[in-house]
Amino acid sequence: MISRRRVGVTSAVIAGGLAVAGLLGLATGPAPIGPGDVAAALVGRARSDLAATVVLELRLPRVLLAALAGGGLAVAGAAFQALTRNPLADPAVLGVAGGAALGAVLGHLWGLEGSLAATVGVSAAAFAGALIASIAVYLIAASGGWLPVQTLLLAGVITGLFFSAVITLVVSLVDFAQLGGILHWLMGSLGIVGYRAIGVIAVGTAVGSAMVYTQARALNLLALGEESALQLGVEAERVKRIVFVAASLLTGVIVAQTGPIGFVGLIVPHGVRLALGADNRLLLPVAAGAGAAFLVLADALARLVVQPAELPVGVVTAFCGAPFFVYLLRTRLRRRTP
Amino acid sequence: MTGPSPGRLLARAASPAFRIAVTLLVALTGLAITPRAGGAGDVTDMLGRRVRVPARAARIVSLAPSITETVFVLGEGDRLVGVTDYCDYPPEATRKPRVGGISSPSFEAILTLRPDLVLATSESNYAEHVQRLASLGLAVYVIRPVDFETVLESIARIGAVLGREAAARERVASMRRDADAIVQALAGAPRRRVLYVVWPNPLIAPGRGTLISELIQRAGGESVTGAEPLPYPRLSLETVVERRPERIIVGRHGQGTVEDLLRGWERLGSVGAVREGRVYGVDGDLLHRPGPRMIEALRELARVIHPERVP
Repeated sequence: MISRRRVGVTSAVIAGGLAVAGLLGLATGPAPIGPGDVAAALVGRARSDLAATVVLELRLPRVLLAALAGGGLAVAGAAFQALTRNPLADPAVLGVAGGAALGAVLGHLWGLEGSLAATVGVSAAAFAGALIASIAVYLIAASGGWLPVQTLLLAGVITGLFFSAVITLVVSLVDFAQLGGILHWLMGSLGIVGYRAIGVIAVGTAVGSAMVYTQARALNLLALGEESALQLGVEAERVKRIVFVAASLLTGVIVAQTGPIGFVGLIVPHGVRLALGADNRLLLPVAAGAGAAFLVLADALARLVVQPAELPVGVVTAFCGAPFFVYLLRTRLRRRTP
Repeated sequence: MTGPSPGRLLARAASPAFRIAVTLLVALTGLAITPRAGGAGDVTDMLGRRVRVPARAARIVSLAPSITETVFVLGEGDRLVGVTDYCDYPPEATRKPRVGGISSPSFEAILTLRPDLVLATSESNYAEHVQRLASLGLAVYVIRPVDFETVLESIARIGAVLGREAAARERVASMRRDADAIVQALAGAPRRRVLYVVWPNPLIAPGRGTLISELIQRAGGESVTGAEPLPYPRLSLETVVERRPERIIVGRHGQGTVEDLLRGWERLGSVGAVREGRVYGVDGDLLHRPGPRMIEALRELARVIHPERVP
């Protein structure tokens, strides 16, 4: 069992990391606004209109969006990994993010732009795309109620490639002017989102994460194998359905606003699992916090490195994520081979 | 229903007391927006949006090279406080503070410049960016230069927004005169088949309804890709062979010679333009920026399509 002390320390580290990342995100940008001015603006006593607008209308929504997206993607990744009992599963690898991206692209092209209904509409389209991808992967890979690891990964990769080909098809057939910001959005971006979109994404991630969390215990038991889980009263099929829908919801609402952002869903749950073990009741909330801190930090770096221009945030998550993932693989490998 | 009628509500919204209350509320909540010069007036931009433009905008941000060129040509370059990374003409424009790329401007950089007017174009700026900037309290005026006439209209409208109607009218009239002179010089000339290369690899050429196709038409040519349904389709080299252009014109952006750009095209010996060496480079900025240098673009095109008529 993981000691209570270790849980406390880890939680404190993640809460501290999230706070530091948030402050860095709020203090980073081309506008010359000092930390004191940022703090004043946050408590509603901005010393200038510029500080008020930049901090409250540009930086704060960005930090909130990064936190929600990072947390949600980490939960979705953890859920897929637990459900498939496969450490390589995440929304991107399983093709679910690709389905969400296609749904969002079609939603944008449909002219869903501007109003609250439109934001919800694009999110719903992305959710539908993610769900279709999930179902497709599941049906392709499932054989006799069992999801063999290799088939599942292959099915996910194929589904993802197919959806990205459809996006390329759409992009090359549509008038450039109509594409608007889609090309930019496809690179992963946290830039232009306002509070309305944050509200939609907050509701979506809250519902999705709660749905996954209600299945945390069942997922733990499923890890022992479906036979034993069944004996302990777990309805495996029902759990799978709930988790697939919840993870698709998380992926859909997030991708609809940020575009596809890789690596968060893959590496964050792994890092947490290494630190705290695989108990999903603990893993899920801690991964949410860690994912939030990670993406907020990555976005701050993306804005800092080439100021005043910006890098796509996915570049930073990959640059931080890939070496970390390799490190995890190597150290775990070494531990297992005596 | 017993509530006040919509008309009453509107009247109340317009009353001085209500306005003062709103102003106070806005000021108190710290959500105040950029202050504007006195005497602001509502105008309609080319997308039909209502924009409150200050009587004399003194701090203007331009979000496209064609807009920057227009402001300078009207003699108002001093009022520009920010331009994009791509605004390099006239050379003075390069000394202005930068706000980032055309498709990726930094909102923070724009706000930091405290503009009282932002000029954007529907042809290169994203609608989402315009919406977002407007929601941040900025006056964003959008032009829509899609063809010969709307380029002239855009110049006239920017002139009006800057309070330089007369200068803009004069400029538009002289552009029209120059265009007419070129068209007259071409009267009776045979229409030549022209392939305009927007980008060589992959080949991208102008399709139906684009300004470039229209300029080729006015310059006594016929764009061999002018009937393509997409504005800027990606085409195969086979298309070049099949459409038999008599002139190939490449829009250059200072990246090497025409031979470099069209490497491999010498194989297409069956194409008249290639066989006879009628492959030309023109300054792509002239054709790809729908602004005041459009007539120079027209003259360049006429010169390579009908060198015997236009010296």
